Amino acid sequence: MIPRWITIAYLAYLVAPIALLVTGSFGELWLNSLLPTGATLKWYADVAADPSFRRAFTTSLFVAAMTCAACIAVGLPLAYAVFRARSARLRAFARVLYQLPVALPALVLAFGFILVFSSDALPWLGSVWLLVAGHIVLGLPYFLQTVVSDMQRLGLRALEDAAESLGSTGVQRFFHIVLPALRHSVLSGLIIVAALSIGEFQFSNLVSGFLNRTYPVVLLQAFYGATGFACAATVVLLALALTASVTGALSAQGTTRLSAAGAAG
Amino acid sequence: MSTGASAVRLDGVGFRYPGSNAGVFDLSLAIASGELVVCIGPSGCGKTTLLRLIAGFLRADAGRIELGGRDMTTAAVRARECGVVFQSYALFPHMTVRANVAYPLRVRNVEAGERTRRAEAMLEMVGLAGFSARLPHELSGGQQQRVALARALVFEPAALLLDEPLSALDAATRLTMRDEIRRIQKQQNIASLLITHDQDEALSLADRIAVLRDGRLVQVATPQEIYDRPADGFVAGFVGRANLIDGDVVAADAVETPLGRLAVLPQPRPAGERVRLLLRPERIVPRAEPGGENVFGVAVLHDRFFGANRELDCAVGNGRLKIETSVRGAIAHVHVPRDAVQFLANP
Repeated sequence: MIPRWITIAYLAYLVAPIALLVTGSFGELWLNSLLPTGATLKWYADVAADPSFRRAFTTSLFVAAMTCAACIAVGLPLAYAVFRARSARLRAFARVLYQLPVALPALVLAFGFILVFSSDALPWLGSVWLLVAGHIVLGLPYFLQTVVSDMQRLGLRALEDAAESLGSTGVQRFFHIVLPALRHSVLSGLIIVAALSIGEFQFSNLVSGFLNRTYPVVLLQAFYGATGFACAATVVLLALALTASVTGALSAQGTTRLSAAGAAG
Repeated sequence: MSTGASAVRLDGVGFRYPGSNAGVFDLSLAIASGELVVCIGPSGCGKTTLLRLIAGFLRADAGRIELGGRDMTTAAVRARECGVVFQSYALFPHMTVRANVAYPLRVRNVEAGERTRRAEAMLEMVGLAGFSARLPHELSGGQQQRVALARALVFEPAALLLDEPLSALDAATRLTMRDEIRRIQKQQNIASLLITHDQDEALSLADRIAVLRDGRLVQVATPQEIYDRPADGFVAGFVGRANLIDGDVVAADAVETPLGRLAVLPQPRPAGERVRLLLRPERIVPRAEPGGENVFGVAVLHDRFFGANRELDCAVGNGRLKIETSVRGAIAHVHVPRDAVQFLANP
């Protein structure tokens, strides 16, 4: 009985702020009452019409997409290398090393980036690619953690040994066995990375240039204006994060389904 | 074996794990076509190392490995054409049963129709007709085992290597699969090596048993020979239950042991020699009355009932005896027939 009440209370605590935001985004006037009065879509129309929000929206999507792509290009080979490392001590060391950024405050990372990239030698502060680079540092540990632990859980080593004894070459093993077997873990890793990238504020706020601010950075400005507008803009961020995760999931599943179909032939 | 046409031949094969003394040493073993050799030994004795050396996952430091008459000592895994059944089965989780079984044919560029036909035929042979569209996780442990067997056999490999194939199964399935492995292996007439630590499995499956201890082969012989004439106390104790009793020869037909003086069949060892004797528990006979040759009074310490049999641990004189019998009542005396006493080679 008591566990159930704790669960319900916790759920309410989780959902209430979001529910309130959604309600506020559709309310016409919200001053000193508990709930707003009147219903309108005006705030969403305002957000959609705002050029800086429109720009931030596409920037955020672009940065998230690039971060995910880099995670696959860099993270997948890295995860495989860590998994196949010969000595257990080396594996443990590599895991500690790639988990380090989790303990690193994004603020510290941002200051480091500002120091390095405001110099005359590397004058890239404000470019969208620098934003992507930072998001890779922040997201990659989660991607690696997901993929490496799944490699162990799946017994990928034994699967590869089996494939090798059955006559496959290294390249065949990678495309027939390793990639398809890992599709679910790559997918869940990308969902985490996409959600992190879309919602990231600390780092982006300091490093993004004026013309390529991400959505959360622009969102902060909204809170100096009308409550309904701020609520609507926040709900859009929530929807954006969810959409990025889901489309990332779907497109990754699409491609892996293709390779799985190839493998099944 | 005698023809020299062994499908698998190991000659003085050695392998040491870098930075340790563990490995296998000077292994010589030949497996003929159609023969099933079971390699048995305690954990860490090098059984799996032996299998991985033959399959090519490990490279031998010394000696020679021949498969199908060809020197494969340094060949790559995929060139060796060994069908391997892994302990975990290692079925590809994202492929259907049919795709799993057809995989070896796919990487050999066998035409699609042909490989489906051969995969289906092999699935039927292992008793899984109608399961080809399933995914591995939709099958029971025994069924997964059958898929792994079919996949390892479909490309007509030079040898079949099975690494503790039954250890992940429940007791009932294990018995069924034991018979199935035997049937399929005989039907395919393929040279096979099965690794296990289970003596029942070894005795019931093998054409020959190879007993491995600390990386060395202690004895290679038929199950009956291993059981009836074990090379030493280790083999006697590892394969089958055994009473190992140390004693001193007092006459050509008598040995002084902690049980008391034991009459034995006449033998040539001189009086005073220290010997180790083997008494199999099922050869010891309960007696109702005391008196007579080799009849000892016993005090039962443990009595385990298994239905058809009982296994008893008894105190006898200053020693202990394990006894296996179908007698139901109380047991106070036992008789040790002279021909039930075996002298082991190295005391």
